Amino acid sequence: MPTAVPHGVGLDPAATNMALLVVLLPFVAFVLLAVVVPLRRRGQAAGAVSIAAIAVAFLAALFSWFVWKGDAHVQTWAWIPADEGPTATVGVLLDPLSNAMLVLVTLVSLLVQIYSLAYLRDERAPSLGRYYTYQSLFAFSMLGLVLSPSFIQMFVFWELVGLCSYLLIGYWYERPSAARAAVKAFWITKLGDLGFVIGIVMLWAATGTFEFHALFALAQEHALAIEGLGTIMLLIYLGAVGKSAQFPLHVWLPDAMEGPAPVSALIHAATMVTAGVFMVTRAQPLFVLVPDVLVLIGWVGAFTALLAATLACVESDIKRVLAYSTVSQLGYMMAAVGAGAPDAGFLHLLTHGLFKALLFLGAGAVIHAVGTNDIFRMGGLFRAMPQTGVVFIVGTLALAGLPPLAGFFSKEAVLAGVWDSGMTWPFLMLALTVLLTAFYMFRVVFLTFFGRVPATGHPHEPSWTMRGPLWVLAALTVLVGIRLAAGSVGGRHGPGWLAPLSVAAALGGIALAWAAYQRGAVDPGRLAATFPLSVIDVLARRRYGLDGLYAGLYRGFILGLSRLIGWIDRYLVDGVLNFVSASTLRGGDLLRRIQSGHAQDYVYGVAFGVLLLLVWSQWWAR
Amino acid sequence: MSLNAYLTLAALVFAIGLFGVLTRRNAIGILLGIELMLNAVNINLVAFARFHGDLRGLVFTLFTIAITVAEVAVGLAIVIVIFRVRRTVEADRLDLLRG
Amino acid sequence: MTLEMVGFWMVAAVLVASSLAVVLTPNLFHAVLYLAAALVATGLVFLLLDSPFLFAVQLLLYAVGVMTVVVFAIMLTERLVGERIVQTSRSLLNGAVVAGAVFVGVVGFLIRAPRSVLRPTLDADAIPAIGRALVGPFAVTLELLGLLLVVALLGALYFARTDE
Repeated sequence: MPTAVPHGVGLDPAATNMALLVVLLPFVAFVLLAVVVPLRRRGQAAGAVSIAAIAVAFLAALFSWFVWKGDAHVQTWAWIPADEGPTATVGVLLDPLSNAMLVLVTLVSLLVQIYSLAYLRDERAPSLGRYYTYQSLFAFSMLGLVLSPSFIQMFVFWELVGLCSYLLIGYWYERPSAARAAVKAFWITKLGDLGFVIGIVMLWAATGTFEFHALFALAQEHALAIEGLGTIMLLIYLGAVGKSAQFPLHVWLPDAMEGPAPVSALIHAATMVTAGVFMVTRAQPLFVLVPDVLVLIGWVGAFTALLAATLACVESDIKRVLAYSTVSQLGYMMAAVGAGAPDAGFLHLLTHGLFKALLFLGAGAVIHAVGTNDIFRMGGLFRAMPQTGVVFIVGTLALAGLPPLAGFFSKEAVLAGVWDSGMTWPFLMLALTVLLTAFYMFRVVFLTFFGRVPATGHPHEPSWTMRGPLWVLAALTVLVGIRLAAGSVGGRHGPGWLAPLSVAAALGGIALAWAAYQRGAVDPGRLAATFPLSVIDVLARRRYGLDGLYAGLYRGFILGLSRLIGWIDRYLVDGVLNFVSASTLRGGDLLRRIQSGHAQDYVYGVAFGVLLLLVWSQWWAR
Repeated sequence: MSLNAYLTLAALVFAIGLFGVLTRRNAIGILLGIELMLNAVNINLVAFARFHGDLRGLVFTLFTIAITVAEVAVGLAIVIVIFRVRRTVEADRLDLLRG
Repeated sequence: MTLEMVGFWMVAAVLVASSLAVVLTPNLFHAVLYLAAALVATGLVFLLLDSPFLFAVQLLLYAVGVMTVVVFAIMLTERLVGERIVQTSRSLLNGAVVAGAVFVGVVGFLIRAPRSVLRPTLDADAIPAIGRALVGPFAVTLELLGLLLVVALLGALYFARTDE
C-alpha cells in the first residue's frame, strides 16, 4: 500500500516506476547469477547478463534524467507496520540529486563492467562469474542507496554497499594482503556506521519518522528544535566520515586498492565512497540547523584534503596515489558541503566520479601492461601506449583543475563556496592542496609515461574492450567541462582572483613536478630534505602514524579484549555450562540406582511418603 | 464402641496389608495384601458414614468394592501374562523398569 | 459390656488373625482362603456398623467373586509352571518396621483426634436412600463405574488370552 505523499512532492507513477526499473534490473541480474549456478560458472556469460542489465538500467536512468530532470517524485510503501501508521517505509525518491547519481552510477558501472571483461580475462570462469555477481549486487545496492526516501532504507543499502566493497576488495581472497585489506575496510567503515545508526535511531526517537521529506518539513517549520540535535547530526556525519574516508577514518581506502583496478574505479572512486558526501548533501536541510557541525565538517574536509595530498606525494604505488587523491577530493566535497555550498560539492562529486574512474581505469591499463604498481619501475610508456597516455593525461589535467576540463569548474565552485562562507583557513588549506594535487598527479604522469627509466617487459596498448570505456570517460570529462564553461551550473564563481589563483597554483605544481621528475633540475630527495618539508616528508612516509596507531589500538585493545572475552567464554561460561551438564549427568547416574525396577521398592517409597505426611500433619500442620 | 476403635482396627488391617505388600515375593501374594489394605479403607468409610450419619460413605464403599473387583481382574490378568512370558511371578525378578 | 462390644472384639480378633495369616502363610492357596475369612470378617464389621446391605455386597461380590477369580488364577499359573507355588517372604524386618511405623503414625493421629463422636441413632432404613443416591447425585459416577468394569473386563480378557 503506497503511503501518503509528502507535501510539495510530486507523485508521477511513470517517474517512480522508471526509477524502480533502474534499481531492480541489476537486482534481477544478481539474483539470476546467484541462483543459477551454471550461468555463474560460465564467467563471460555471467558478465554478459550483468552488463546487459546495467546497460538497460543506464538507458532508463538517462531517460529519467532527460524527462524528469527538475522534479521530485516519491513513492513509498509501508515496511514496518505499527499502530498509527508504519514505523518505516521503503520506496524511491527521484529528484535532481538522485537522478544525477542514477546516471553517474549506472554509467560508471556499465563502463567498468565492460572494461572488466578484458581486465579480468585471465581469471578462471567461476571466479569471473562471482565477480559479476558482486558487481550486480553492488549496482543494485548503490542505486537503492541514492533512491532512498528515508534514513532507514539508506542505512540498509549503506551497509549493503559496504558488504559489496568488502567482497570486491577481497576478490583475490587467496592473497593475505587482500583479505586483510577487506577486513580493515569493513571494520573501519563499520566504526562510522555505528555512529550513523545510533544517530538515525536517536533522530527517530525524537521525531518519530525516518523519512527525509517529513524531517525536512519539520526543519522548515522550525519544529525540529530537539535537544541534542547537534549530537545526533554529528553521529550521522560520523557514518559519512567512515564511508567517505574522512580524517581520521581515511586509512582503509588506500588499503582497499588490493582489489582489482576496475573495482577501485567504481567503488573506491566514483560511487561508494561518495555515498557519505551524498548523504550529507541529502540531509543538508537538517545539517544547516546545526552550524557548529557544519563548520566541523568543513574543517575536517579541508584538513583531510591537505593531509591526503601530502600522503599522495610520497606514495610510489600508482593506485595508492590515486586512492589518496580520492581521499583528498572527497575532502574537497565535504569542505564544500560544510561551507554551505552542497551544490558545489555535489558537482565536484559528479565530475570527480568521471575523471577519477578514468584515472583508475587508465592506471589499471598501465598495471595490466607493465605488471607492477610501482611508478618508479615504469617509464616511457607513452610511446608504447599513446592512447592510454592521452586519456590518462586528460584525467590528470581535470583532477589538477585546469580549464576547460570538468574538474576545473567544480573545484573552482568548491573553492568559491568555501571562500564565500568566510572559512579562511580551510580555504587556504584547499588552495595549497590544489598545488599539491597538480604536483603529485604529474609526478605520476612523468614517472609513468615519460621518465628516463624504460619500463620492463613489452608494454602494449590494451584491447578495445578496455580502451573504449577510457575514451568514453575522457570524452565526457571534456564535454562536461565545455558544458560547464558555457553555462554557470552551480552559479558560484567567487571573487575575480580565484580562477587565476587556482590555475596558477595548478600550473606551479605541474612545473615543480616537471622540474623534479622530468627535467631533473631539482633533486626530489634534496627537496624533501630541506627543513619544513623534511618534517612532513618523514611524517607522511609513516602515514602520520595513523595506520600504526589503529593497528596498535586494534592489537592492544580489541584483540586484548577479545582474548579476555575468549578466556571468559572458554573457562568461565563454558566452565559453568560444563559443570552443570556434568553434574546433571552424574546426578542422573546416581539417581538412576534408585530405580531398581522392583515394584516393592517403590511401595517402600510410598510408605515413607505416607509417614512423612503423617508426621508433618501431626507436628507441623497445627 | 467408639469411632476410634473401628478406625484403629482399620489401621491395623491396613498395616498388615502393607506388610504383606512389602514382604511377599509372589505377585499374587502382593495382590492379596492390596486387597487387605482396600478392605481397611472400606471399614474406615463405613465407620465414618455411620458415626457422622452421612450416606455418602456407604455409596463410596460400594464404588471402591466395584473398583477393587476391576483391579483384581486386571491385576491377575497381568500376572498371568507375566507368567507366560517370564516363567515366574517372583517380584524380585521382575525389574524391566530398572533405571 | 454391650452386645456390640462383644461382637466387635470377636470380629476384630478374627479379622486381625486371618489378615496376619494371609500375609504370613507360606501356602498361597491357604492365603487365599484366609483372605476369604478376612473379607467375611470385614463384612461382619459392616454389619456391626448397621449396614446389612454392604455386608451382603461384601459377601457376594468380594468373598465369592474375587475369591473365585483368585483361585482360578492360582490354578492356571500352577498349571503353567507345572509345580506347586510356595510363596515365601523376604526382608520381614524391614516390612514390619515400616508397616508398624505407619500403624503407629495413624494411631498417634487418632489419639490426638477429638475423642467422643457420639454414635447417632439410626433414623431410617439406609438401603432406599443408597438406591436413590446411586441414581440421583451419583448417577454419572455409577455409569462411569460400569464403563470401567467393562474396560477392565476387556483388558483382562486381552491380557490373559493365549496368542494363537
